[in-house]
Amino acid sequence: MDSFLTSRNVSDLLGGVTSGVIYALVALSLVLIWRSTRMLNFAQGAMAVFATYIGFAILAPSTNYWVSMAVAILAGLVLGGVTERVLVRPLYGKPEINPIVAMVGLLLVLESIAAAIWSTSSRALATPFSIVDWQLNHKPVALSPFALYEIITSLVVMAIVAGLFQYTKLGLQLRAAALAPEVSRLLGVRVGRMLTVGWMLSTAVGAVTAVLVASNFFTGLTPSGMDGVFAFGFIAAAIGGLDSPVGAMVSGLALGVVFQFVGDYVNSNAIILVALAMLIVSLMVRPNGIFTRSAQRRV
Amino acid sequence: MARVVGSRLGVGLALSVVAVVIVALLSSSTRLAVALGLGVAVLGVGATLVSLPAVRRDHPVVTRALISVVVVDLAVVLTFRVSATSNSNVAIGAAMAIVLLGLSFLTGSSGQISLGNGAFMGVGAFTVGIWADHHATTPLVVVLVLATVAGALVGLVLGLPATRLRGPYLAGMTLAFAVAFGAILNVFSSWTGGDSGLQLPSAVVAPHWLASYFGPGASTLTTSSAWLADISIVVTGVALFLMANLFASRTGRAMRLVRDNDVAAELVGVSLPRARVVAFTVSAAYAALGGALWTLVNNAVSPSTYGFVLSITILSLVVIGGIGTIPGAIIGGIIYAFSAGAISWLTAHLGLNPQGNVASQLDGIIFGGLLVLTIVFAPMGIAGLVRHGWRRWRRG
Repeated sequence: MDSFLTSRNVSDLLGGVTSGVIYALVALSLVLIWRSTRMLNFAQGAMAVFATYIGFAILAPSTNYWVSMAVAILAGLVLGGVTERVLVRPLYGKPEINPIVAMVGLLLVLESIAAAIWSTSSRALATPFSIVDWQLNHKPVALSPFALYEIITSLVVMAIVAGLFQYTKLGLQLRAAALAPEVSRLLGVRVGRMLTVGWMLSTAVGAVTAVLVASNFFTGLTPSGMDGVFAFGFIAAAIGGLDSPVGAMVSGLALGVVFQFVGDYVNSNAIILVALAMLIVSLMVRPNGIFTRSAQRRV
Repeated sequence: MARVVGSRLGVGLALSVVAVVIVALLSSSTRLAVALGLGVAVLGVGATLVSLPAVRRDHPVVTRALISVVVVDLAVVLTFRVSATSNSNVAIGAAMAIVLLGLSFLTGSSGQISLGNGAFMGVGAFTVGIWADHHATTPLVVVLVLATVAGALVGLVLGLPATRLRGPYLAGMTLAFAVAFGAILNVFSSWTGGDSGLQLPSAVVAPHWLASYFGPGASTLTTSSAWLADISIVVTGVALFLMANLFASRTGRAMRLVRDNDVAAELVGVSLPRARVVAFTVSAAYAALGGALWTLVNNAVSPSTYGFVLSITILSLVVIGGIGTIPGAIIGGIIYAFSAGAISWLTAHLGLNPQGNVASQLDGIIFGGLLVLTIVFAPMGIAGLVRHGWRRWRRG
């Protein structure tokens, strides 16, 4: 049993789950916005990093971790809401490349401003739990207290979002506004407000993700630190289906595990090639994602 | 009528050629020659413009060739008069204009967008680097064609899913490619030199026959920056000419229909998958050609140049210039050629520390901000604003 827990495959599995939950969160964040506004938020990673800087770089370094985390989430809520109101709202009904371009512009502005204020050098965040792996008979298990906290936090965030959508009146209104905006408007749902709430929610999820990434991954907090994570999160969301929150989260988790095995058995540079190949194949076979029921596009 | 048009066209063409020849023969020394050449070239442009409406109708291909020649002519004359630094900027900007032409075609013809054209530039740039490492004596034209073909092949592979994809999915996929490009180069590090990149074994020099034609005292050809700027401009002119024809061709028209209404396009018999893949492949090939020129100008190729930020910069330039149009791409290239100088002037003017955080991020803030402002307030960019203003002015 002991040797099983420290074996190569179990280590890969644990490591894969630890990074997989991150990809799942990014994918969830993208799906939240895609479902309500049919936009892919390319600035998702940059907005999340910016919120994290507000939580962890503006406050004094000695500030309690949980206070910083709360400030980062709050900053994410505000940033998401303001972005939707100011930047995204004028773009509804425009050609579909306009919001893509606007979001890429926002990405560049936010990353540059973050680098101008806080420099491009990496910043280590204080973590509430040890990032050293647990030992079993003097062999490391590929799981640290922080990794466990990371997994649990991610699952809690996913559960909160799912519960919100499934069991609250706000969630019902959010779903209605996304699925049938005209009908819901007639029935008294403030559709515009719901779209803002969707963006706020998505960016708050992003802020939690960025805090976890910046504390656990070796890179620390850097202005462009979420670029790579965002790419993997997008690949997960696209494979699972941008319309399906469950699909996005499951495929995020699965990708994390697959990448870990590829990195261990082949080499770490091959991960991205495998990811691209998986994305291309899956998009060619099922352009709307594995977990989405195929729908005909209406003319 | 046709004869009048023909003669006007002839005059325009002749004046442009005369301008090139005069400048070429006398440029080594006198300022007068340059002034003369410029004047004649401007005359040529004028003659061309006067006859444009009719010529455009009767001889569209000749018109496009003429415009390309005149643009190239003016730009080449310019390179004889400016400093080495400016020439290197002109070369970089001209190559960038080629990349922008490709992206503009992708968007203008199929309504799609790519966030990975910086990486496609890298494909061309590394093709030149790898090839020069092994076969230093290959003619320049062959090297450029090789790089273009390499870009087209990679574009074709990545573009295959584009047959079934709509905007955001394709943009996301190309973004993943751009972010992953550094790691991909590392996979093939025995060829690409890994993180340190490649250095060309020797600087590109002008072919002997051309140098001797200009005579031993031709300073413009012995200093490599001017010569490379001229090469870049000529290649840009050829790319511009081909692109103008492609835009106007049957394929181009079919693609614009795909962009405006893909269902209607399918109904009249346009193959959507084919149109989308062709557009994507062409844009990748153009990007690779631009990257190839960059390697020649810089005499080296480094993976850090072709990161994600370059892809965003390309997008910014094409949107600010005017996405989906040829003039927009040229404007974007000109902006890029002058942006480095403008930003360092701004840094000095604002009293910023040149090595500081703010100064090093100024270009990102400005380009990103302009990108957002352009897409919200003037989605067709500078070219669109100019066209709009011109129409209003003509209506009075």
